[in-house]
Amino acid sequence: MVGPQYDFLSNPLGAVRSTFDTAIAAGTDPSSFEGRDWGAISLFRRFLFDQSGISQVPLLTPTSIRFLRPHTLVLYRGMIQDMPGNEFYVGAYKDGSVWRTNKFMDVSQYPICSSADARIWERRLLYCVPVPGLSPWTEVSAEEFGNLSMDWMSDSREKRRRDEESSDTPVSCEEVHDSPNTKRMREGEHSSTAPHSSGAATGIVSTATRLGYDIGSNSPPCLVKIYDSPESEMKLNDIFEFVGILTSPELQEDNEDSDLSNGFSEDPLRHFPPNQVPRLHCFIHKKLGIQDFLKNNPTVEPKLDLVKGIRESLLRHLTAILGNDDVTSHFILLHLLSKVHARDNDLAVGKLSLNLTCFKKETVSVFGKQLTHVLKNLLPFTFCIPLTVEYLNTVSLAPKKNYDTNRLETGVLQLAEGSHLIVDETKLDAGTLNSVGVENCRLLKNLMELQQVEYDFKYYKMEMKTDTQLLILSEGKSNILPADVIVPFHPSSNSCSEAVTVEDLEAWRWYLATVRQLPHSIEQEMQKEVERDLVAARQEDRSLGPQDLSRLLTMGRLMSLSYGETSLSLEHWQMVKELERLRRQRLQ
Amino acid sequence: MTTKDLDFNADIARVCSLSLSSPTLTDFFSDSVNSIVFSPALAKDFLSNFADANGEAKYRNILQDVANHKTKAVQIDLEDLINYKDLDEEFLSRVTENTRRYIGIFSNAVDELMPVSTEAFTDDDHDILMTQRTDEGGEGVDGSDPLQKMPPEIKRYYELYIKASSKGRPFTIREVKASNIGQLVRISGIVTRCSDVKPLMKVAVYMCEDCGFEIYQLVLHVVILCLPKQEVTARVFMPLFECPSKRCATNRRKGNVILQLRASKFLRFQEAKIQELAEHVPKGHIPRSMTVHLRGELTRKVAPGDVVEFSGIFLPIPYTGFRAMRAGLVADTYLEAMSVTHFKRKYEEYELRGDEEEQIARLAEDGDIYNKLSRSLAPEIFGHDDIKKALLLLLVGAPHRTLKDGMKIRGDLHICLMGDPGVAKSQLLKHIINVAPRGVYTTGRGSSGVGLTAAVQKDPVTNEMVLEGGALVLADMGICAIDEFDKMDESDRTAIHEVMEQQTVSIAKAGITTSLNARTAVLAAANPAWGRYDLRRTPAENINLPHALLSRFDLLWLILDRADMDNDLEMARHVVYVHQNKESPALGFTPLDPSVLRAYISAARRLSPSVPRELEEYIATAYSSIRQEEARSNAPHSYTTVRTLLSILRISAALARLRFSETVAQSDVDEALRLMQMSKFSLYSDDRQKSGLDAISDIYSIVRDEAARASRVDVSYAHALNWISRKGYSEAQLKECLEEYAALNVWQIHPHTFDIRFIDA
Repeated sequence: MVGPQYDFLSNPLGAVRSTFDTAIAAGTDPSSFEGRDWGAISLFRRFLFDQSGISQVPLLTPTSIRFLRPHTLVLYRGMIQDMPGNEFYVGAYKDGSVWRTNKFMDVSQYPICSSADARIWERRLLYCVPVPGLSPWTEVSAEEFGNLSMDWMSDSREKRRRDEESSDTPVSCEEVHDSPNTKRMREGEHSSTAPHSSGAATGIVSTATRLGYDIGSNSPPCLVKIYDSPESEMKLNDIFEFVGILTSPELQEDNEDSDLSNGFSEDPLRHFPPNQVPRLHCFIHKKLGIQDFLKNNPTVEPKLDLVKGIRESLLRHLTAILGNDDVTSHFILLHLLSKVHARDNDLAVGKLSLNLTCFKKETVSVFGKQLTHVLKNLLPFTFCIPLTVEYLNTVSLAPKKNYDTNRLETGVLQLAEGSHLIVDETKLDAGTLNSVGVENCRLLKNLMELQQVEYDFKYYKMEMKTDTQLLILSEGKSNILPADVIVPFHPSSNSCSEAVTVEDLEAWRWYLATVRQLPHSIEQEMQKEVERDLVAARQEDRSLGPQDLSRLLTMGRLMSLSYGETSLSLEHWQMVKELERLRRQRLQ
Repeated sequence: MTTKDLDFNADIARVCSLSLSSPTLTDFFSDSVNSIVFSPALAKDFLSNFADANGEAKYRNILQDVANHKTKAVQIDLEDLINYKDLDEEFLSRVTENTRRYIGIFSNAVDELMPVSTEAFTDDDHDILMTQRTDEGGEGVDGSDPLQKMPPEIKRYYELYIKASSKGRPFTIREVKASNIGQLVRISGIVTRCSDVKPLMKVAVYMCEDCGFEIYQLVLHVVILCLPKQEVTARVFMPLFECPSKRCATNRRKGNVILQLRASKFLRFQEAKIQELAEHVPKGHIPRSMTVHLRGELTRKVAPGDVVEFSGIFLPIPYTGFRAMRAGLVADTYLEAMSVTHFKRKYEEYELRGDEEEQIARLAEDGDIYNKLSRSLAPEIFGHDDIKKALLLLLVGAPHRTLKDGMKIRGDLHICLMGDPGVAKSQLLKHIINVAPRGVYTTGRGSSGVGLTAAVQKDPVTNEMVLEGGALVLADMGICAIDEFDKMDESDRTAIHEVMEQQTVSIAKAGITTSLNARTAVLAAANPAWGRYDLRRTPAENINLPHALLSRFDLLWLILDRADMDNDLEMARHVVYVHQNKESPALGFTPLDPSVLRAYISAARRLSPSVPRELEEYIATAYSSIRQEEARSNAPHSYTTVRTLLSILRISAALARLRFSETVAQSDVDEALRLMQMSKFSLYSDDRQKSGLDAISDIYSIVRDEAARASRVDVSYAHALNWISRKGYSEAQLKECLEEYAALNVWQIHPHTFDIRFIDA
């Protein structure tokens, strides 16, 4: 089916055009193509997945962007940070008597004569940035970028390995040169593009903060243009993988005519200079979850005994890190598995934020550091906020719309779903908060209680749902951040960090990513039992509110999930009650 | 000859850079009309003959006003066009899809119909110029030169707009698609930015130095892309440099032309950006925005932050020149505004939309509106039916009365909620504020120095003493919800007495003596004196508020968190259900939308019900019987005063308003008495066991007494329920009583309606 006249990787537009011509030749009216595909996408889908072409598609990174030729097929991963809106373009037009298309292109090939018959179509713009707080272990090294784990290609990896055996060179940029398409490029215009784009790379660093992403990360920001897909599919802060055409980042910004438009109907993309933000015309996109960031994604069924084994070893590790504090490590495990799985009005069901108290300045430097390090190694997206008065007074936590640049300026709390956030309150001293500080405290509290962040659109605020695991380290109970569970931390020995094997780490990562996705239910009889226990607990202690009951149920759910089980058993419910009893004992 | 005016020269650069212009002179409209069924003649016919609902020639009157220079805008309402001679749907869609052309057609028609001015008005520059031009008219020998023909635009004093039909829901910005290009659309949004108002050149007039003729250049709407039936404008203004007139051409002279700013025609021009309203943005998306061009009379109508509805034509501007190369084929789009409507937020200004009126009418017919509305208040808060009813009445309120001697009697209801912490008091308060169009939520310990009432402060810049209103003053004509009422500052507490009865705030401080209006309904929430309600102490001890203040509340509710097995089980079930099914258990009814609630209440608030004479006696009896009862009891819980009587009247009036009735009915008074009794029983419910009779026989005696008073043998179940619940008994107890006494053959019970018929007369 693949015609010889185009190469999917180096000349994807050829495929687009030839399918368009075929469709037109078949007598289809070009106006009927508005908002739908004429066969190009399905062709690519076939090439990428049925013929495993995905393994040959290069990944777009700050390094590779220097070598990638415009108008070639690339792969990009990022979080949707802003949605600049729609763009109208001349989708199809008549050049003389021939219909031509501009879909998947920034610049038309042939000048359009002003009286041409043209159809205006629209496409959606998404501004994507690297996922905030991405742990180093998730990053795909240059060696692997060819065989990145989109899970539909896991079987193709072996083939790819074999192909590359001949050039089994160590990981470096040289490797990039050896991949087939860059080779071709080197023959061509290597000498002319390289110096130019390295200049662009330094430009990226200087404007990184302005464009709202970290520099240390493995992928550049990117403006993705989406065609023909329903709007509801892609939401803000979702992580996506895109395959599409990279378009020329070389065209220079012209400022000469900018004085022409002294209103504000200026180019909405003015603030995304093409030499710093590459454009990607997307063919195919796929939403990524946490498990897609695991390096070797063994699509193993979570077997009960296997899960139980991993659970034990992880718990052992956590207990050792926490100076043999068994209760705390249990709570940490439950906390790491928590996930907002339902929302009822404003209530986020399934969250379990944890407040470890009794930290001193000295202990936090030992245990806190250890814990942070371990969590970074276990979870794909982690973030740490050192809470000080100065930090609260200056930082912008919530994203804010800037109407001058028409951009959503990111804030610390614009996080991808499933991020983990550690707030270190031990560094907080007495001090005065200004209005920014008060607002930031309120934001943190809202995040804690409702799993929502208010985005500031100046004329109104919009509440965005998040799913963030929050861990607070503090001396006494944190009043700024009222967590679901407060556990006084009582280490009985020093933190000993035993050596951890890579296999163990990978197993634990897989465990944490997989187990929390499992479904869960409570059987009818168990429900009765739970209801009885809850009523009894409330009769005993009138201060228990619905939130506390909800938290106990969440703990029950997480406890059974941690064993890989999908329904609550009496045994696990008893464990939860026991854990709660131990915790209460400590609180007194 | 026109004179060159140097004042304008400073603006030349700006004018040149922003005008819409054409390099060619095409009177675009005249030649494109042929294909359209709606002919210019029909347009003329419509403008001269259309009669509105009152039979007035609407557009002829407008044109006369234009001729008299009283107004500039001629707004053609699309609805009038539809109503006129039954023009069909197809025609409507033609106008909405190709509005630009129809503006041209109507403008030509208006030119022809323009009447002679009937009133004198002072000539401005424009008129003087026009007179001169007409005088010189004969001079142009070669008038056939199209460049010297005066374009109609320069003669027009008016601006013509076509307003989209206001039927149906306006678009959100997100819904405007590529297929809407060139169409008339209605869009709602919030204005985020506004540019300065600048002059926009519409017709450029040049004077040739050689031949001395005026050259007109129409700076308007050029077709660049021939989309089917759509035209597109470009933002390029290419000034002329050579005289193109025939005389210069025949003389083979390159006549030097000078732009005549004073003679040229300018329009006011403003750009604005609108953004989607928060409620229109789908979850997980961010609001979109759109550029709006406002011209002429529509400029300076909006400011940032306004919530508006625009109708206008959605148009693209293709990039030109170098920018087109860079940006490829992307077209910039904008909305050319045709009308601006502001949204209003106050009850008094609340305008009902078409569908809302219908919905309200349907609701009003439904007998159960009282229950339906009250249940829709904070539907996620379980139970508390009577409290919600009371809160609904607080939203509705009663009319204010001013007596002949100038004394005012307030109509606003004040309600105080008391109870243990964590019984959803604050949520109730916040929900009410959300429903009320004007509501202020504050706590007794107001964070600002102004506090609740008002404060005199020194302005830091001018050092003048200024009066600053507190929450109660800000909530004038609205609702003020005060949480933590018991923790109020002492100074506010004294002032609040005045606010709650006289509804003013008096200030005599730092040389300023004044009184501010605070016509607000107070909804207070207070905690018991010792954190939790102590059942061993008397209510008065628990409520840490002076009696003088308490008596100002029409209704007081005590919400206790009793150690109740049923409630706890209910809560546990709810929590388990939410965890299991990922949603709240079904409410058993669909709550009304807050916007519907708001619309209904605002409609109800327009009424001012009165108490009919025959009811006066009934109310007086009820009042005196409460007083009697209190006198008999040796430890009265409360003091029924004249204030109580006023409260009864207020609540009854609010109930009548809810029924959309101009008179208070007996059922309203009954319900008011019941609510007051229920509120009292929420405070003193423990006492009823102390009375000698057991509940069942007490209920029997109540029903018998009431029936005897009315000398009836038939008592409807609803009446019986009303009477007994006023005394603090439950429906279950009533049913028990009915069964027990039916077994004794004292009365008969209707098997379905439970109505009571006494057997012995």
